[in-house]
Amino acid sequence: MRRAALATGAVLVLALPWAVPRYFVFLASLIVVNSIVAIGLNLLSGYTNQLSFGHAGFLAIGAYAGALLTIHAPALPAPAALLAAGLVTAAVGLALGIPCLRLEGLYLAMATLAFGFVVVEAILNLDWITRGNDGLRVPAAHVGPIALASDTARYYLTVAVAALLILAALNIARTRTGRALLAVRESEIAAQASGVHLAAYKTLAFVLSAFYTGVAGGLFALVVGFLSPDSFDVFLSVDFVAMIIVGGLGSVPGSVLGAAVITTLNDSLAGFQNYRPLIFGAILIVSMLFMPGGIASALRKLSVVGTAGRPRPGPPTAII
Amino acid sequence: MAIRAPFLLLLALVLATATPASAQSPGVSDKEIVIGSSNSFSGPLAFTGEQITKFGVDLYLKVVNEAGGIHGRTIRTIYYDDGYRPQDAVANTKKLVEQDKIFAVIIPQGSPPVVATLDYLEENKVPLLFPYQSSPVTRRKRYVFQGMTLSDRSSKMMIDYLAGPRKLKKFAALYQDDEYGKSFLTAFEKDLGRFGLKLVAAESVKRGVTDVSAQIAKLQAARPEVTFLVLVPGPAAQALIERQKIGWTDTLMVSTGPLTDERYLALAGDAAEGVEGLSLWPDPLLSDLPGVKLYREHMQKYFPKNEPNRYSIAGYFAGMLFAEGAKRAGRNLTRESLIAALESIKGYESGILPPITISTDHETQKQGFWVRVEKGRFKPLTDWLKSE
Repeated sequence: MRRAALATGAVLVLALPWAVPRYFVFLASLIVVNSIVAIGLNLLSGYTNQLSFGHAGFLAIGAYAGALLTIHAPALPAPAALLAAGLVTAAVGLALGIPCLRLEGLYLAMATLAFGFVVVEAILNLDWITRGNDGLRVPAAHVGPIALASDTARYYLTVAVAALLILAALNIARTRTGRALLAVRESEIAAQASGVHLAAYKTLAFVLSAFYTGVAGGLFALVVGFLSPDSFDVFLSVDFVAMIIVGGLGSVPGSVLGAAVITTLNDSLAGFQNYRPLIFGAILIVSMLFMPGGIASALRKLSVVGTAGRPRPGPPTAII
Repeated sequence: MAIRAPFLLLLALVLATATPASAQSPGVSDKEIVIGSSNSFSGPLAFTGEQITKFGVDLYLKVVNEAGGIHGRTIRTIYYDDGYRPQDAVANTKKLVEQDKIFAVIIPQGSPPVVATLDYLEENKVPLLFPYQSSPVTRRKRYVFQGMTLSDRSSKMMIDYLAGPRKLKKFAALYQDDEYGKSFLTAFEKDLGRFGLKLVAAESVKRGVTDVSAQIAKLQAARPEVTFLVLVPGPAAQALIERQKIGWTDTLMVSTGPLTDERYLALAGDAAEGVEGLSLWPDPLLSDLPGVKLYREHMQKYFPKNEPNRYSIAGYFAGMLFAEGAKRAGRNLTRESLIAALESIKGYESGILPPITISTDHETQKQGFWVRVEKGRFKPLTDWLKSE
């Protein structure tokens, strides 16, 4: 049953470029890229209960790293450039994580918020390589002999990378590291008492989160084709947080759903022009009030009702 | 179930917006021409974005549509908000071209969002009409017709006038640290070189920063006769106020074409008195040019609550040029026939700007005139200056 559903899903994802108009292929690529960021952010928030408002900064680092590699080392195949983008971002995540994870809750949120601004300033000041405010045009990358010149080619690359990263995220709980992270999530004190080095594992979660976001950044550069510091403002970081809250904290499928909903909303509200932020905000508030566990938990509750075979009132969705 | 229904509905709504392909040129049907753009309706340039589109292009097109349209077709516009973010401009432009199947892009705003979509539009052979930005990156593109007078042309007019008839020799610049500012800076240096001069000082201002006191102090130390302001209204007004505060009177402050507007004037208050600049548009409130009078009448008729301003007049003019091109292209309107028609425009009388000639260089505006601020208004000092 589960396997059949997965197979159907995979076929749908792979067939998408042939079934929908061209614009949706681009939009779907953006959704996949945002899903990777949301999963990365969820690795941090889901495991250490800390919110980051600086993921646009990580995305920017990955995007510029990927783009600059594509421009200056055109022989490098796209997957290698993406890996490098992820590693560079992870290194920055490590440097940021060591001091920042000593901070709690609100203070960490503020530190990451500041980090987002610092990254934008750094891009502006490194204009000899980033071209500052003028923006950077990203040429088509390639995988082996295939040039990623069309929306469809780029879509398949993002899907392939996302599939690998989703598998890794789903399986991380089965590793020693994953179990340690889960222990941290359940109770920091209990985990520490069982010999889990709290600071080390929290930093690891931060680094992993940065790696995911960096890879997504590399993909973002290829999909959008143009980078400028204006792209990575604080509202983008807030969008990422909204994705995991709407989708469901700590859930991989929830991250993907959240990314899909927020990206689609952003896109479909573009026509409302100056009312866009207002409508967007209202939708977010309503969804948080009525689905505090996100779409993932709402769906879980629905499926509990469904598999029981007979209609009965579902468990309460909200305790407010 | 009721909980996720809105989301499913929204997703379904988005998926359902796919429009059937038309047999003619995209965006042109028997009864209609569809054009549009991604623009700023939120973010730093939201006011400008709204004025050039809804109160500018749409104002002129309302008049055209009410008079029966162009060769029997009415014109409809679609705009999406990018909030000045390039990636949103890319997404919106792709959506306009591939989903809404627009015929042409009209008056998108700002260098970064426009540059982000240039290659895509050129590859897909979609006309990009009159982008509202001044960097020469749009030059020499088959499908692009530049709107605003480009920075190197503005610079040439400014230096020719100041170093020529006004015989001024020591120039400095306060510029925004991006494509807008730097394209002016490069042009200033080149044009001053023709007079054997160079900038005695140049200070940059980061975009979004309003405190310019340190830069003003440094510029004053260089003792320039002329200080160019290549900024946006906020920091430019701040520069004038700062200068007044420190009592720096022996320099002439000069604003660039994109800056010389009523907004900058209002923000600076009495600190703007005596400031000069290059104006790209006649005074939208006071000019008695026939086209400007008509523009005010139309504004009064359709949007009586919206005060005339140079953004909406720029959009109005863009709508006028598009309509002229579409009229000349005839009933068989295609993207290629529109380009040929626009290229054929010679000595076109708009009643707003001097006669417009668009040749194969695709630059629709190449002029400006000199103004000085007197009693809070721009008073013309010269006739139209030439940049060729």
